[in-house]
Amino acid sequence: MKKNEGNFSYGEGFQDGIPIFLGYFSTAIAFGLICRNVGIPFIETCLYSITSFAGAGQFLAVNLFASGALLFEYFIGINLINLRYLFMGVALRTHLAPDVKGLKKMIVAFGVTDEIFTVATMKNNDCLSFNYMAGLISSSYLGWNLGTAVGFMMGMILPKALQMAVGVTLYAMFSSLLSVEFKNKGPGVLLLAGFSAAINSFLILVLSFPSGWSFVISMVSTAVIGALLIKEEK
Amino acid sequence: MKNLPMYLIVLVAGVATMIPRFIPFYLSFLNKFPPFVKRCMSFLPVTAIGALIFPYTILDFLPVWYAGLLGVIAAFLVSLFKQSMLLSIIVSVIVTYIALLV
Repeated sequence: MKKNEGNFSYGEGFQDGIPIFLGYFSTAIAFGLICRNVGIPFIETCLYSITSFAGAGQFLAVNLFASGALLFEYFIGINLINLRYLFMGVALRTHLAPDVKGLKKMIVAFGVTDEIFTVATMKNNDCLSFNYMAGLISSSYLGWNLGTAVGFMMGMILPKALQMAVGVTLYAMFSSLLSVEFKNKGPGVLLLAGFSAAINSFLILVLSFPSGWSFVISMVSTAVIGALLIKEEK
Repeated sequence: MKNLPMYLIVLVAGVATMIPRFIPFYLSFLNKFPPFVKRCMSFLPVTAIGALIFPYTILDFLPVWYAGLLGVIAAFLVSLFKQSMLLSIIVSVIVTYIALLV
């Protein structure tokens, strides 16, 4: 039977979040740098991380902003890239203690990210306490926001080539996620990612599509093709 | 969009991020989607990654078109053999930096 308040303490959650802190800190540095290069002021840059707390979603947002996308494209694009949180939320919910309700539930929902979801569900416990989740979210949130501020300020002192090189952080993060998916699910993953990359490149480079729509079209069409072609994997 | 106040643009991103985060905690219609739609949706993270990496990992580093590409490949390989996102990010930045300098 589930204990009402659940297992694990705030401290344990915070500790489990330290690897995420490190990963987020370095990725957020790139985010801060990019915002500064695009001309977003310091306060708004920090506000991005405070209110969104989403790696890929924020990078996409700034990308779309800088490329002059329409507000509508921007809104839809961000929604789509964050659509995966829907499934994570569905799965994560079954791992939480019964007393995670009201404000506590809102805080946990706010804190759903790829890495927090992964660490929490891999804990293999169907009764995670609010305190544990709060600890896990705290250290990750701290890393993300500190990194953003530090990255923005680093833009003032880093040499240009190194600043540019730090910009690869985002792509490195995606590539590393892809690598893990590839290891878990096989070569189909690379095929899908490659196909979507090819469509996106074609739309942007050859047809000069706006990046927001191009991104949405590539990811959705490839997902449909994947569902049609690839048989059940489980 | 650029004529709107910046803080508003930032908040729109926040709202767009919170919608998919909150829905599953308050509604349970997700289990009622047809299986085909669910399967399509399960592929979205991977197909998003492909479109996120290309073509911008090439365009961002022009005129050295291969700098970002080498970094991305390095990150992939490091993650393949040693599952550490931090390490693969660091190696990737170093590889890209060297490619930009050479």
